[in-house]
Amino acid sequence: MTLTKRIIPCLDVKEGAVVKGVCFKDLRQVGDPPTLAVEYQAQGADEIVFLDVNASVAGVRTMHEAVRKTAEQLFVPLTVGGGIRTFEDVRKTLNVGADKTSINTAAVLDPSLISKCADAFGSQCVVLAIDAKRSGDSWEVYTHSGTKPTGLDAVEWAKAAVERGAGEILLTSMDSDGMKKGYDLDLTKAVVRAVRVPVIASGGCGTLDHIVDVLTVGEADAALAASIFHFGQHTVADVKRALEAKGVPVRWGS
Amino acid sequence: MKVSIVDYGVGNLHSISKGLERAGASIEVVGDMSSLESAECIVFPGVGAFGAAADKLKPAIHGLRKMAASGTPILGICLGMQVLFDRSEESAGDGVGLLRGDVRKLQAPRVPHMGWNEVLFQDDPLFDGVPEGSRFYFANSYVCHPMEKVGIAETLYGETFVSAVRKGRVCGLQFHPEKSGAVGLRLLTNFVNMAEGSA
Repeated sequence: MTLTKRIIPCLDVKEGAVVKGVCFKDLRQVGDPPTLAVEYQAQGADEIVFLDVNASVAGVRTMHEAVRKTAEQLFVPLTVGGGIRTFEDVRKTLNVGADKTSINTAAVLDPSLISKCADAFGSQCVVLAIDAKRSGDSWEVYTHSGTKPTGLDAVEWAKAAVERGAGEILLTSMDSDGMKKGYDLDLTKAVVRAVRVPVIASGGCGTLDHIVDVLTVGEADAALAASIFHFGQHTVADVKRALEAKGVPVRWGS
Repeated sequence: MKVSIVDYGVGNLHSISKGLERAGASIEVVGDMSSLESAECIVFPGVGAFGAAADKLKPAIHGLRKMAASGTPILGICLGMQVLFDRSEESAGDGVGLLRGDVRKLQAPRVPHMGWNEVLFQDDPLFDGVPEGSRFYFANSYVCHPMEKVGIAETLYGETFVSAVRKGRVCGLQFHPEKSGAVGLRLLTNFVNMAEGSA
């Protein structure tokens, strides 16, 4: 009896529609967020993530609308991130139906936002998203959708954020993202071993084996993937069969 | 059956509202604690932090104790289960005290306990029709330590803890049935059926 590894389809949302970024550029549209979320729930997704990739003022409204519609039909957890800048943004996002919010740039600019949100809503609602890029022997944190280097070390930043109350880390390797050559196992393992909250690995998934690897060798608690699911290459159930074949406990059911 | 969902002023109440509607209940969200006294059935949702929730519930404690004693069906989910107890290590302030015991930090290598875990349940109407070995979604850093025999299910994560309680019509679930897919909705349906049976 233990926690199962979680499989989390991620929907990158822009203007109310789902897109998948390749190295954060060259966006291509693939579908309607509530429809896709419910489809993934039926496939056995353990959780769903929506990331708003252009959080303009109008974009935030359409995102809230998508979250509200999704929450009416979704009975697994929903995390929403992208463009969440303030305490009030977090409150609103939870109020429209998100179970957790992920904060990235805003937490770097003002780390006290993490503790404020954790105190008010509980740590389990506060996911710290980190976009990290390899730099020599370590990884540097980038903000503003991966465009601005911060000089922060990803592992140290993860530790500091957990200290302030982040309940989970959503860790994206910018080097791997969109390349479909596998997750950054070294980065994932380094963060997993540095913190005592769950870590969701993201960026680089192209095959079922990549997911198996990051949940075993990479020691992640959960794997996030997008294009492997969106283009019908594999279902969530395919991933779980592959994991089970390697002796990794998974949850069956919808 | 009309279910009153307590609004502590923070967090997502959509999921539990939709879940209870699927379970056949009509729902109202109640932010004014004085109007809880007329409720037929009360749900304490699992959002927020203990201190803030306890603070908000303070004026209603006396009324809630009377309602529980007279058989009003009550369900607490996650934090909502924890506030049914006397107190919590998480923050100062008294719980509602419908159940004897306290809430303590979960002893496990990785906290919060976040994800799908097995719930070993006893024969109880709340778990009617739930297959053995079913997994439910948890997101908790604290667990309840009842001082009376109210546990109806256990879960292992770092330590074995009580993951569901029932004392008459007062029920508590440490996991989120509204986030636990089909088996979770089954549990909510069982609760609503139990509540209707008592009306």
